[in-house]
Amino acid sequence: MIGVYKKELKAYFSTPTGYVFMGFFLLIAGFFFAISNLFPMVANYNAMLSNLTFIFLIVVPILTMRLMAEEMRQKTDVLLLTSPLSVNEMVLGKYFAAVTVFLITLLITCLYPLMMSFFGDIAVWEIIGGYVGFFLLGSTFIAVGLFISSLTDNQVIAAVVTFSVLLLLWVMDALQSVVPTDIISGVVFASALVAAVAIWLYSATRNIYVSLVTAIAGGAAIAGVYIANKDIYTGFIGKALAWFSVLNRYNEFSLGILSLSPIVYYITFSAVFVFLTIRNIEKKRWS
Amino acid sequence: MIEVQNVTKRYGQHVAVDNVSFTVNDGEILGFLGPNGAGKSTTMNIITGYISATEGTVKIDGIDILDQPEEAKKRIGYLPEFPPLYMDMTVSEYLDFVCDIRKVSSAERKQSLERIMDIVKIDDVKGRLIKNLSKGYKQRVGVAQAMIGNPQVLVLDEPTVGLDPRQIIEMRDLIKKLGKSHTIILSSHILPEVSAVCDRIIIINKGKIVAAGTPANLSKHLGGGRLSLRVAAPEKQVMAALEQVPGVARVEPRGTFEPGTIDIVVDPDEEVDIRRPVFNALSHADCPILMMRPLDLSLEEIFMQVTTQESEVS
Repeated sequence: MIGVYKKELKAYFSTPTGYVFMGFFLLIAGFFFAISNLFPMVANYNAMLSNLTFIFLIVVPILTMRLMAEEMRQKTDVLLLTSPLSVNEMVLGKYFAAVTVFLITLLITCLYPLMMSFFGDIAVWEIIGGYVGFFLLGSTFIAVGLFISSLTDNQVIAAVVTFSVLLLLWVMDALQSVVPTDIISGVVFASALVAAVAIWLYSATRNIYVSLVTAIAGGAAIAGVYIANKDIYTGFIGKALAWFSVLNRYNEFSLGILSLSPIVYYITFSAVFVFLTIRNIEKKRWS
Repeated sequence: MIEVQNVTKRYGQHVAVDNVSFTVNDGEILGFLGPNGAGKSTTMNIITGYISATEGTVKIDGIDILDQPEEAKKRIGYLPEFPPLYMDMTVSEYLDFVCDIRKVSSAERKQSLERIMDIVKIDDVKGRLIKNLSKGYKQRVGVAQAMIGNPQVLVLDEPTVGLDPRQIIEMRDLIKKLGKSHTIILSSHILPEVSAVCDRIIIINKGKIVAAGTPANLSKHLGGGRLSLRVAAPEKQVMAALEQVPGVARVEPRGTFEPGTIDIVVDPDEEVDIRRPVFNALSHADCPILMMRPLDLSLEEIFMQVTTQESEVS
C-alpha cells in the first residue's frame, strides 16, 4: 500500500493536477476568507468554512478523475494487478494519497484562523470542530470520486460524472421539501429500496435464493411495520433523504459540535465507496 | 513449473480461449504462436492472474493463481503487449516503484536494480522520463520491470513488436540469456523469432491448441519425411528404379533445373526412413544422385497449414 501511496502522491506533484487543485482551492478559500472574515472583521470562521463547502463540487473531480481512469487508459493497471499486491492495498493507497493532498491544502488554510488570532480571541475548539467536519466531508466526496473514476477509462467522463453526482448529493436537501409525504408513497419508497437492494445482491452474487430471501424479509418487515404503526411512513421519503443527506450532517460540525454519529456516518460512507471501488475492479477481472 | 489445465475463457457467447492445457518445465522457453486474435494475450493474462479464467486452473510452481494470488504472482514477471509504463516517471523512479509493489526489500534493491539495468542495458537512460524514450528503450524498461523481484517465470507478450531489426536481434539474445536462469513463455506471430529462441512451440488458433512440439519435431512431423532428389539420369529410368523401393508411397517428377538431370520429390509411407533404400536403388540402376535433402516444412508452412486447414495435430 505504501508503494502505491507514495507513487500517487508523487504523481500529484509531478503533473499539474496537484498544483491546480491546491491553487484553485486556496484561491477561492482565500477570497472567501477575505470577504467574509477579514474585511468585515467578523470572527465567525465556521460560517465561512460552511459556505466554502460548495468548492468540493469543482475541486474533488480534479483530484479524483485521474486515479483509476488513467491506469486503465495507459494499461498500467496490468502492472498493479499482476504484482503481489492486493486490490485493497492498491485502492486504499490511491484513496489515502488523494486525501493527503486535500489534508495538506487544508493545513495551509489554518493560516487564516492564525491570522485572526492576532487581532483577538478566536474560538479554537469550535474551529477545530469545523475543520474536522470539513475534512470528513471532503474525504467522503473523494471516495465517491474514486469510485466513479474506476468506472471509466476516460478522465473527462470521470470528472463530469463526479461533478454531477456530487451536485445531486448537494440538491438532495432541497428535494426533501417537495417529495410526497403520505403513507402510501412512503410504503412504495420503502419497497423500492428493498427491491433495489435485492437486485444489487443478485447482480453481485448471482445467487437467486439470497436475493429472494432478502426481498421477502424486507417486504415482511415493511408490512409488519405498516400493521404495527403505519404513521411511521408519513414523510418517510423526506426522512430517508435527510438521513442519507451528506450535507445535513455537516451542520453540527459547523456549530462546533463534535459528536460521534456524524463522524461514524462519514467514515462509513467513505468506506462503502472505497469498498465499491474494490469490488468493481475485482468484478472486471472476472467478467 | 507452470501447469495450465483446461483453461477456458468466455466473454458472453464469444469463446476467447477454449479448453487449453499445457505445462512448461523448469528452465524451458516456450513459444506461443498464433495469428492476431487467436487468444495468446488472453491466455497470458490468465496465467499471470490479470484476468480470471471462466473454467480451469493455472498453477505456478504448484501454487494456484486464484487460491493464493499473492504467492503465485511473486513468482511471475509479466511484460504485457503494451508495456505498463508510467510516462511521467523517470526510469529509475519507475523501477523503484515496481520494487515497492513487488515487495523487494530495500537492502537488496540497489544491487538487484543495478544488475537488471546492466542486463537489459538501460543504465544510460535511467534519469530520463519514460515518455521521452524510444520504443526500443521502452520495451527494455518493460522487460526490466518484469525481472524485478527475481521471479522464476517470465511471461513476455510479443516482446519484439515495434522494434527495428537490430533491436529485435538484441531482444532475442536477451531472451536467450534470460532463458538460462528463468522459465519463459513468449508469444509472437513472428515465426523465425520463435524458432530461433524457443525450446518448444505451441501453436494456437481460435482459442485452441492446434499443434505443439519442438521446432524440429513439428516440421518433421508435418513434413512427413519427404525427400527432394536431383538425379543425373533420364526420368523414366529413375521413376522405374524408385517405384521398386519398399516404403515409397509416391514419386513425383518436378522437372529439369540443371541440364541432364531430373528433380524428383519422393513421399514415404508413414514414419519410414527411405533415404538408404533410395540411395541403394538408384545406385544399382546407375543413376548418380547429385542432391538429396529432406523436405521439412518451414515454420511458416506449418503455421499456414495448421491455422488455415485446422487439421488437428498433436
